[in-house]
Amino acid sequence: MKLADILGKIDRRIIFIVLTIVIVVPLLSPIGLVGRVSNRVRDLFQAIDNIKPNDKPLLISVDFDPQSMPELYPMLLSVLRHAFAKNIRVMVMGLWVTGVGLGEEALKITSQEYNKEYGKDYLFLGWKPGISAVILGMGRSIKETFPTDYYGKPIDSFPIMQGVTNYRDIPFLLSLSAGDPGYLTWISYAQTRFGVKLGTGVTAVSAADAYPYLQSGQLTGLLDGMKGASEYEFLLSKYGYSKAFRPASQAMDSQSLAHLVIIVLIILGNIGYFLARKRS
Amino acid sequence: MQQRIPLTLCLIMGILMIVQFFVPHKLSETTFDLVVKWVRIISAFALVLGVRSITVRSIEQIRKRRKDWVYSIFTLLGLVITAVAGLGWGVKAGTPLRTIYNNILVPLGATMFSILAYYMASAAYRAFRARTKEATLLLIAAFIVMIGKVPIGSAISGRLPDFADWVLNVPNMAAKRGILFGVALGMIATSLKIILGIERGWLGGRRQK
Repeated sequence: MKLADILGKIDRRIIFIVLTIVIVVPLLSPIGLVGRVSNRVRDLFQAIDNIKPNDKPLLISVDFDPQSMPELYPMLLSVLRHAFAKNIRVMVMGLWVTGVGLGEEALKITSQEYNKEYGKDYLFLGWKPGISAVILGMGRSIKETFPTDYYGKPIDSFPIMQGVTNYRDIPFLLSLSAGDPGYLTWISYAQTRFGVKLGTGVTAVSAADAYPYLQSGQLTGLLDGMKGASEYEFLLSKYGYSKAFRPASQAMDSQSLAHLVIIVLIILGNIGYFLARKRS
Repeated sequence: MQQRIPLTLCLIMGILMIVQFFVPHKLSETTFDLVVKWVRIISAFALVLGVRSITVRSIEQIRKRRKDWVYSIFTLLGLVITAVAGLGWGVKAGTPLRTIYNNILVPLGATMFSILAYYMASAAYRAFRARTKEATLLLIAAFIVMIGKVPIGSAISGRLPDFADWVLNVPNMAAKRGILFGVALGMIATSLKIILGIERGWLGGRRQK
């Protein structure tokens, strides 16, 4: 077999095995590659850091499901840790019904780490059908849109809701978004109409779509994929807000090597292609 | 009549909501609140319709033994089991529904997405060939962004992440803005066509001129 054929027709099973090795090995034995913190992530970190402690709550919308969990769930954990470490109150809701469990789980883990009290320090609103109607309704009255929390208790009965009526009382809204509905829905119905300050965390593949909104100022900060999550984890650790395990930072080693492997494969494929073309 | 009433309603509500958006009057806000409540109620009904639709379709698949009809059994089983678990024991942590969610839905979803990495690597190797000038440009841009967006990029050269950001912030953004403007104009045109009754696909059934 000629070199052109070998390089141009690598068996897909070999590709899969090599990729598995470069993904699994760094997970078992981390290399500890540290990237630079981008301005997008720093802006989001700063926006959350600037919220007054024990005052108006940060609203987080869990707009993803288990499929995008590896990229977006570490963001959710990090932001919750940041908020709780700074005694910032948090309300969590979601536009994806399949993400409700993830939101509740993240709250459970992080609230225990920081000894936070349900109803006083954080609240879980859950999911409501209607998407745009829910977002628009919250602009008028959060209590009317979510009369009860996820567990069926009237949200009026919780101290966290004192003085909270609508988006005017939400200092920052974060949508962790894996698609539609997601940050674009929040931009269309909450940011544009009610002027709420909005940030987002998205999967790496859709990060480029969010850049125009970042440049226009409609988005304040962006966590782009696992890299964004790892940068946020780095900032949390740097400022002493969390010493918890950093899943995104560890996974970035695997992602770095996987990218390198893909690049090497593309180069090999192209060498094979040019050799074959020269021969023919 | 079957068409005229929905079309008239669509025209009235469409124009009403456009006017309402630009008029900051108390009456306008009250109308908006009322309409938002209606939409929430209608959305809840949509859930019922969705359940009916998937049930009817799955039963049809099984009855007529269409291609991959076995999967429809699992769809129906999943629907019934999760509905019974949710309605019977609630949705809190520790309930059967949460067990199904944590032990079936979460790992299955994560696995589906993870498999993409393998297919992307294989597809990139096979399809990313510098056959033309445009393909070569795409290849170079992909190399820069792929390597600049991971920590190893900074380790290779401190300028790589900057260059990757430039690619995303300038050429990418220019193209994206163009697409966004196109999409926005298209949405306005389609919305107007629906409001004015030119586009009637949403009514269902045969398209009429």
